[in-house]
Parts: sequence; structure tokens; C-alpha cells
Amino acid sequence: MPKHYRPPGKKKEGNAAKYITRSKALKYLQVTLPVFRRLCILKGIFPREPKKKVEGNHKTYYHMKDIMFLVHEPLLEKFRDIRAYDKRVKKALAKKNKDLADRLLTRKPSYTLDRLIRERYPKFIDALRDLDDCLTMVHLFAALPAIEKEQIPVKRIHNCRRLSHEWQAYISRTHSLRKTFISVKGIYYQAEVEGQKITWLTPHALQQVLTDDVDFNVMLTFLEFYETLLAFVNFKLYHSINVKYPPILDPRLEALAADLYALSRFFAANSKATIGESQMVTSSGSEQADSKRKEMQTDESELRLAQLQHQLPTNEPGTLMHLIEDAADGDDDEDVERRECKTLFKNMKFFLSREVPRESLLFVIPAFGGTVSWDGDGAPFKEADEGITHQIVDRPTQGHKFLSREYVQPQWVYDCANARIILPVDGYLVGRVPPPHLSPFVDNEAEGYIPEYAETIKRLQAAARKELLPMPGVDKRDLDDPQNLLLEGVISRAEANEAAEKKRKMAMLEKQYHNELKMELQGVPYSSSVSNDNTESAVNDTEGREESLPDPDQIAKDSSSSMSMVVMSRKKRKLYEAMQINKERKRENVNKLKERKAKAAQGSA
Amino acid sequence: MKVPRKSQVAVEIATAAVMEEKKKKTESSKSPLATETVSKEEKEAQEPEKISNPIEELSENGNLEKEPRVKGNEASEDEDFAGTSGNDDEHRVYSQEDQDEGAEAHLGVEESDSSEDEVAPRNTIGDVPLKWYEDEEHIGYDITGKKIKKQARKDKLDSFLAGADDSKNWRKVYDEYNDEEVELTKEETRLIRRLLKGKTPHAEIDPYAPYVDWFVWEDARHPLSNAPEPKRRFIPSKWESKKVVQYVRAIRKGLIKFDKPKEEPRFYLLWGDDSSSKEKSGQGLSYIPAPKPKFAGHEESYNPSIEYIPTQEEINSYQLMYEEDRPKFIPKRFESLRSVPAYENALKESFDRCLDLYLCPRARKKRINIDPESLKPKLPSRKDLRPYPVTCYLEYIGHKDTVLSISIDVSGQWMASGSTDGTVRIWEVETGRCLRIWDVGIAVQHVAWNPLPELHILAVAVEHDVLLFNTGLGNEEEQEKIKELLHVETPTAPESSGNGTSIVSWIQHDKHEGIMLKHLKTVSSVEWHRKGDYFSTVVPGDDSRAILIHQLSKKLTQKIPFKLHGLPVSSAFHPSRSIFFISTKKNVRVYDLLKQKLIKKLETGVREVSSIAIHPAGDNVIVGSKEGKLCWFDMDLSSQPYRVLKCHPKDITNVAFHRSYPLFATCSDDCTAYVFHGMVYSDLNQNPLIVPLEILRGHRSANGRGVMDCKFHPKQPWLFTAGADSVIKLYCH
Repeated sequence: MPKHYRPPGKKKEGNAAKYITRSKALKYLQVTLPVFRRLCILKGIFPREPKKKVEGNHKTYYHMKDIMFLVHEPLLEKFRDIRAYDKRVKKALAKKNKDLADRLLTRKPSYTLDRLIRERYPKFIDALRDLDDCLTMVHLFAALPAIEKEQIPVKRIHNCRRLSHEWQAYISRTHSLRKTFISVKGIYYQAEVEGQKITWLTPHALQQVLTDDVDFNVMLTFLEFYETLLAFVNFKLYHSINVKYPPILDPRLEALAADLYALSRFFAANSKATIGESQMVTSSGSEQADSKRKEMQTDESELRLAQLQHQLPTNEPGTLMHLIEDAADGDDDEDVERRECKTLFKNMKFFLSREVPRESLLFVIPAFGGTVSWDGDGAPFKEADEGITHQIVDRPTQGHKFLSREYVQPQWVYDCANARIILPVDGYLVGRVPPPHLSPFVDNEAEGYIPEYAETIKRLQAAARKELLPMPGVDKRDLDDPQNLLLEGVISRAEANEAAEKKRKMAMLEKQYHNELKMELQGVPYSSSVSNDNTESAVNDTEGREESLPDPDQIAKDSSSSMSMVVMSRKKRKLYEAMQINKERKRENVNKLKERKAKAAQGSA
Repeated sequence: MKVPRKSQVAVEIATAAVMEEKKKKTESSKSPLATETVSKEEKEAQEPEKISNPIEELSENGNLEKEPRVKGNEASEDEDFAGTSGNDDEHRVYSQEDQDEGAEAHLGVEESDSSEDEVAPRNTIGDVPLKWYEDEEHIGYDITGKKIKKQARKDKLDSFLAGADDSKNWRKVYDEYNDEEVELTKEETRLIRRLLKGKTPHAEIDPYAPYVDWFVWEDARHPLSNAPEPKRRFIPSKWESKKVVQYVRAIRKGLIKFDKPKEEPRFYLLWGDDSSSKEKSGQGLSYIPAPKPKFAGHEESYNPSIEYIPTQEEINSYQLMYEEDRPKFIPKRFESLRSVPAYENALKESFDRCLDLYLCPRARKKRINIDPESLKPKLPSRKDLRPYPVTCYLEYIGHKDTVLSISIDVSGQWMASGSTDGTVRIWEVETGRCLRIWDVGIAVQHVAWNPLPELHILAVAVEHDVLLFNTGLGNEEEQEKIKELLHVETPTAPESSGNGTSIVSWIQHDKHEGIMLKHLKTVSSVEWHRKGDYFSTVVPGDDSRAILIHQLSKKLTQKIPFKLHGLPVSSAFHPSRSIFFISTKKNVRVYDLLKQKLIKKLETGVREVSSIAIHPAGDNVIVGSKEGKLCWFDMDLSSQPYRVLKCHPKDITNVAFHRSYPLFATCSDDCTAYVFHGMVYSDLNQNPLIVPLEILRGHRSANGRGVMDCKFHPKQPWLFTAGADSVIKLYCH
């Protein structure tokens, strides 16, 4: 008798009834594998792990409820229709019945995914939570070329581009970008929308490497869903700030591939319609301002024209938006982080050279409150503009330099955005190798290793924060401190404070170090003393105690820990050991980093 | 009628072929064209020879003349057809044919003789591929059926030379079919030229001559056919009406729509303002969101700090790793942003993520994020559990070799020890003075004091023998009693054991004033009953004589009446009742000696039991095993261990309970002894409390053994340990 024998009249029970293997599910649904795959992707159905794998260990199991969920899916029927339709067209063509084929082609069965999206994400917040993969994929496809062979039409690529720009425009407009990181894989962004942290990756704006070991059918199915999802999300987001969706873009700017700017213009135009020209950026030269105004006006009219062509009532949403925006601004004041992001690059004007990644910077700089222009047609202001404070360049040398502005490498912008302070530009000047670019996603404390530059940034942050509250009294500068060289001018006083603080700290640290040494001599393991090195008072406390009760107490502590190991149950003990191993691995990693660093320092010295 | 037409077509084809050939010639050699005018006269001279050709031409001209006309007619006919209804198609066609025939007949007079004049082709093979004759000697057959031989091929050079000499060469065309060269006449070349220009071949023909309507005649009122119109032409088509009905129905049903569907906005506000609307997910299964990909760390930066970049050696060492262990991403540093290339695995990684999303089974896994220290159980403070042995207070040095066993006098004043150097020593506990030494010559396995305070008898297990020594302590009275006890009438032993086979023989040991019990096999341990009269010996073996119980007063030995399961390791008497514990390698069996039956079987679950100790209250047992595990059994609770403690990495050699303090100890080959607090409550509902208290170190390893025995002082919370390094240590509180 087989192991799982079930007498004929009896129903299946337990795992055998609850779970079904994939091949059985296919039979049950009467679909082919590609259709099943498609359905699963669109419906978001995934295999599950039964406690007991009745059919064998190396099979994929789906929950029966999931499969029943698919059975009742109208899309299943739709796919069958499409298949039948395809056959009909094929047959008509094969019989040279062109009339019929043409007639059929006008009536291709179509389906929409909005119901599915609603079903998978009953609330908007659910959709936002799941948006990471969606954004990454859409951004990737926006950078891909159209591949005829793989049935990726240009239209879809353009759609992806449009969607990604719309998303970026929203993020930039609402100043909800929080973190950026240039990695080898591309540029990571993290935004916060409705309290949800959304992270996505955009590839570098270069010709992408196409590999042949990917199945584009799968990716395109995902993309199909993601495109719809992102469009609906964008709609909702745009609706929330009272901007019409889909936005109508200036065709001229669109042609110049400055979609993002066009979008921002769209936003601005909606609001500007009522405010008039009061928002004009004040610039030094009056004639320049005039010319610019003219330029802007022409731009404006063109844009208006474009909108009129699309028969769009611009005025009303504009006024509304302005009102709402004001209200929103009022709300924003409570949100400290948003305000911080909004004002980071305030009163700064950026100009991008040809060679820098324009799209990314056009996204990041306005997101942090800066104004930006670039080298090329359709740019809001020219390179010669006197008001420009920073020019982003990425070349070995800069020939002609304006004295009124800083020439910095693009990394500076990203580092500033991550640190939320204006970093000193010295390290980022043209031709220099910039300081290391650090990931904002890493919790250095948890990792146990803080890179040098992270500490520098931390110190600068602390200095910047102190700048806000005036600190009288402590005003002497400590010139010995090498960090003084980094900070000049405005924050010098803060720096001085910082230096003094640091000196004090150093003294304290030294004291502590001596204590530790002493303890080490007494045979006390390091780990115990680490726990109480936080404050001076604590150190003193422990010191006193340590001296009074030098050895046995420590040993008692040590042995007691091993004693309790004895009483632990095996499960817990194993868990504990595993944790220790993990800890050890982490420590090893950190040690390796330290070692490398020491070696590098040695090599350079 | 048909034949001339065919020939006409053939001529057309021929001219086309000629034209083609001609074209080639004109292209290849322009110079002959230039010489044309020069050689005109010559050609004219030749003309009479070819006089027949123009005639031919003429006749052909007649034909040709006719052709376009007919064509024109047809064209006009077509127009007519388009104008009239399709019903009289056939009729008209017939009429046209008639007319055609008439026309042909009319022309036939001139044509017939000319066509007969035409030189028939020499070859008669017909329209077959010429390559069939490629390998043959002949090119075909003439009209009489004789083979026509192929002409001898001139080689290229000759033909070229001939061509160069002959100024008329450019007119010559090779006729493959007849295997001969044909020279084009002037007329023919002219014809070709006109064709090349796209004109009609013959200048005398006007292609756009006014159209003559052949179908207009005087009496045109009469139809061509007199047949009456069929009825079907006057009634509506049934099929058509059916089709119309079909369409009408389809339109009514809405299957056919004329106006294109309105473009609805594809996107709308999917999530309304009140997102509080609770929509049940359709399936009732919990949705498990996919885990998010890991965030990028510092090492993924395009410009990481120097310490994140592995050295070349490290990168090389990655190659030696297993594929799975190898780091997937090797950090790299770029000097500037512009030098960062496109990431080559972008598509692949995205695809992998897709696969993960729809192929990986998802399950919720609880991941605890706790401080590992919190896993450790909270133990009661050890200060509260004092006193317990902590530090080494005394060392008893004197043995030359491993001390295998120690035993403490009930009074706590004396200690006996047996060693592999063949001596048994008695020590004064408090001073460490060695009181007495017996040299038995062979390794001493086990020593045990008699538990009665007045009987100072020491049982010593030495190989096959158990020796009972009189230690000579105590007062006169006691000595008398002991001496009496330790006296055996020499011959009794074999008889008393009975049944012919002697299990043990009781022999007076003369040398050391005691009794010697001779066993058949090696004795591993000796245990006294609490009343001091009985003692048991363990002789490891599989038979029924493995465990014997001896009575000192009667000098009697008896087997235990139980079947042993497995190899016995040790035995113990219950401290208050007549219960006997026997531990085999796997289990501990508990027997009632009075009722002579098995009470309980304690399943240790360890690989090999090495020692056993009974709690002074008698309800708890600890068992030490050779894998370093200690099992605490609460006999009232279960036959499974109440608690298993894995404390030693090596074998536990012995375990011991303290008589009065709630202490117990284990000693092991890893040179340590553990002291535990083991509180047993009188309340049956409260489980025993076990707290590890102290690890006692100090012994050194010898021959791979560590601490061999441990015993508590009967009154003080002191622990004696005997080490393989021949030292006995006393740990005090």
C-alpha cells in the first residue's frame, strides 16, 4: 500500500487537498504554461510552501485557493478569446482573405488591468508599498533601446520614459526625495510618499548592455502590469496636488528630450497663470532679465499654445492648484524633513555642463529646492547668467571660469542631498578626485564600521546644526585642529565650538583609553568594558568599582555567562551560537576593512 | 486562324531575345557602333542577298499592325463592360470574337503566302530546355528526322580574332536553338533601336489611330442575341436579402458598430478619497509581500572609500572559492562620474528579480531581532546559594599515578584513595597527612568506606578481588567488633556459595588483615548498603553474575534475581529504602529488593552511562554520560530526564550528591568539575531547581584523562576531586 493511500470514497484532506502542484494546476485551469505564468504575474499569485510536500520535494506548490482565484478570473477567458482571435486572423491571412483579416484587425479583443490593480492593492498605500520593483523596472525599460527581435516596440519604451518622468516630476515638485546614491549599478533614489519609503534604481543614462539570457516575455508581462500601476499611481498623486493627468507637455521641450523640465514647466504654468510674473527670478543684469522674461514669455505662449491645441482649460486648475499649494505649504511646515529638503539648495542656481548626467540632476536639484539650467536648447537660462552659483562639471579641466561661481563635480550635489547640508566644495572641485561617495542606506553604527568621510560629514552636520542656535562665550579658535581648514567663513564660530568640544572629547577619550589599558592589564576582556564607556561619569563609576573589586567579580561575571549557557535548552543554545557566529562574521568584515584601510594608509605614507 | 497568331507571338519573343542580345552587345562594345556608318555601303551591298528578309518583315509588319488594334478593341470593350451590367458579358464577348475572326479572315489573304515563305527553323526539338542537348553531339533533328550535328566550337581566341577582323561582327547574334550565327539586318537593328526608345517597332504604325467601333452597325437596334431576359434578372436576390437580414439583426444586437468606440480616458482615480472602504481580498489568503531587495551598501558606490576595494590577491582568491560563496559584486573605483560604464548585469538582475517575484514560494518566517544575551536564562544569584565549594584549599600529594577512586569516612575525618600505582592510602582530611598505605600491587579500581560510623572498614576493588580492610581506626571496642566481622573460617567459602559453582570465594587475607572476595572477572565498583552489612559489586559482563550482593555478617554472596538488560555500568542502593539501582549503558533500572521486582526504568537517552548518584531524599537521580551530558531524573515525575545539561565537552567520569547541602557535582575528563545547586522541594508540585554554580579547575590532564572521581564531604560543603595527575584536591567554600 502506498504511503499516502486514500480509500476511494474519501476526499483529500490536509496538505494534499490544500496544495496543488503547478502541472496539476495547469491541467485544472486548462491553460498552457505561458498563459498561466502571465496570469500569475498579473494577479500576483506566487507559489507557497506547504508544511508537508505530498507530491514530492522538488515541485512547486500553489495554494488551492489561489488557483480557484485564477479560475474565476475573467482575464482567463479573455486570454482564450485572444488566442481564438489570433487563430482566426492567421487563418484569414493564410487563405488570403485580406478583407476578413483587416476587419478582424480592427476588432482585436482588449483587456484592462485596472480591476486587477484595485484588487491587488485595495488601498493606495498598499500600492505605494509595492512600488519599488515597479519603479525600478519602468526606469530600466525607459533606458533600453527598442528591440524589434524581442517585440519591444518604441511605443512602450516611450511610455516608460513618460511614466518615469511623471513620477520624478511629482517627487521633485513635492520635495519628497530623501536619499540618493550613485552606485555602479545606477543611481538609487529614495523618496517618501505618504509616509512610505520608496526606493528605486535608475540605470546610468548610457547604452544598456543587452544580454540574451533573459526572457523578455516574462519581463514584458511584468512591465505591462507595472506600467498600468504606475500610471494609476501617478494619476492619484497628480490628483492629490490638483494637477491634471496626463500632463500636456511642451512639444518643443519634449523634442529636446527635456521632458522633466517640460513637466516642471507644466506644473509651474498651472500655478503661474494666476500669480502672473511676480515669481520672476531676480537677476543682476536688467537687460538680461528682460531678455529672459521675453524668452520665458515666448516659452510660456508656446506652452499655452500646446495646451490649447490639446483643448485644455489651463486657468481653472491653475488657480485651484495655487490655492491648494498654499494650503499644502502651510501643512508642510510641520514636516521638518520636507522643509529641510525643500530649502537645501534654496537661493542657489545651478548650471549643468554637457557631460554630466542631466536627467538625474534635473530631478535631484529641484527636488531639493534649487534652480537649474543646462547647456543646450530650451534651457531656462544660459551659462553666462550672473546669478549662477554653482556649475556642475565633470571634466579634467575647466577652460573659462566665472569667478562668481563654484565649479563642482556632480557628486557634490548627491552628497549634499544625503547629508542635508551644503558641504564645502573644496574636495569636489574640477580635476580633483572627489572624496568617497557613501551609501546613505547604511546604518554605520549597526554595521560597526564608520568610514572616515562619514565621520567628517557627521561633524559638519553637527556644526551646521549648532549654527542655528547662537552660542556665546566659547569663541576661541583652535588652530591645531586640522578640520579647521575645511570650514571657512560663516560657520567658523561653530567650528571653533566644535573644535573645543572635540578637544574635550579627546581628553576624555584618552582618559578612557588609559582606563581600558589598565583593565586589560588586569586581564579584563574588552567586551565587558565596552558596555560602560559611554560617559565620563560612567567610566569613573566603573573605574571605582573595578579598583575595589578587581579580579573575582569579573571572573564571576564571565563564568556566570558560561554557567547559564549550561542551563540553556539545546534550541536556544544553538540559536545563541548561531548569533555569535553571525556577530563574529560581522566583526571579521569590519576588521578586514580596518586592515585594508591601515594598509592603504601605510602605502600612501 | 490560331497558327499565325502563335507564330506572331514567337516572333515577338524572338525580337525580344534579339533585343536583349543586342543590348548586351551595345553595352559591351561601343566601338562597333561608331563604325556602323563607315560600313554602311558594305551592308547595302549585302542587301540583295538578304532580300527575302524584308519581305518577311513586311509580312510580319502586317501582323504587328493588327495586334495593337485588337488590343485597343479589347480595351474599349472593357470600358463598355464597365458601363453595362454584367448580364450581357458573354454575349458581347462572343460578338467580339466573331468580329475578330472576320478581321483575321479578311487579312488572311496577304498573310498566308508570307508565312509559308518564312524559313522554318532548322531544328525541330520544340520548346525544350536546350541543356538537354548540352552533352550530345547533335543539337536536335531536322524536319526529316536526321540529327543535326553541332558545329565545331571555335575557341574564344579565334572567335575574338574573327570578331575583331570582321566589321560586321557586332550584328551577329548566336542562335543557340539552331546552333548558328544570325546576322541582323539593318531593318532589324532599326526595329531594335525603336524598341529601346520605347516606341512602336515600326515607324509606319500609328499606335494612337482613331478608334473604330466595330460594334456599331447600321441596324444596331436589334440585339445581338434574341434570347429573352431571364426572370432572375427581374426579381430581388434571395441570398442578398438573407444577408441583409443577418446584418440588420447584428446591428440591432449591437454586434456591428459603425461608430468607432469613444476613446475613454485610460486612467482615472482608481483609489477614491475614502480609502477606508474595506475590500476583502478575493481569496482569504494572507498576502505575503515580496521581500524588498537589499539596499546598496558603501561598497556598491561608484567611488567607494579605499578600504572597500579588495586587493588583487583577494580578487584572485575569489576564484578558488565555490561558485555560491564567491562574492557576486566586486567593488570598483571610478575616478569620476563620467567614466562609469553601463552596468552589464542590469537586465539580468532585473530579470532575476522578476523570477523571484513569481517563482519563489513565499512563506512568513519569524526573524527574531533580539540581543543574544537575552536568550540566557535568568539564574538566581549565586551569592544566595552559598555555601558551595569555590577554591582549592588542600592538595593531597603522595600517589604516584592516577587516583581512580576516593571515599570519605562518614565522620568526615578520613579519606581513602585508590590509585593505579597499586596503593590504597588513607588521609587525614583536615591536614592532608597520609595516615596509612596498603600496597596491593595492582591498580585499585574502587574504594568505599563502610557507611556505619562504628565500622571502620574499607572495601577496595582490585582487579578480580574485593578486599575488605580494617583501617584500624576507632576505639578498642569497635576494633574488636571489626576483627570479628573480618574473620572467615577458611574452608566455608566454596560450600556456602552452594550449587557447586562458586560465584565468589571468601578468603581470609593474611597480609593486610582482611577478607578477600575472589571474583571470576574484574570488579569495577563496590557500593555499600546504608546499613553497612550488605555491599554490591559490579562485574561488567553480560551474565547474571554481573552484579552481586554480599552480606558481610554472614559472609554470603548472592546473585540478583533480575535479568539484566545490557552491560551493567554501576549500581547504587537507595539511601532510605530497600531499592536498588542498576545502570546499564542505556538505561537505569530500579528494583525493589524486598518484592524482588522492577519498579521503574529510567530512559536516559544518552549514548553511554558512566556513573549514577542518588539524591539523599531518594526521589531524584543524576546520571552522567560519556558524552558529557548530565541527566537529572525526578522519579516521581517521569521516566524521562527532567533536565539534561550538556556541560562537559568530554566524558563525565563521576557524579556525586551532597548528603545534606543541596549540592551536586560532576567531574569529567576535561579536567574540570562542575558544582551545581540542586534543590529538591518537599512540595511535590515544585520542580527541582538546578543552578550551575561553579567550575572547578586545577587538575592537569594525564594520559588523556582528567578528573577521575569527586566526592562531597559528608558534613561540610567541600568537594574532593581525584585527578589523573595523581593529586587529590579539596575545594572549600
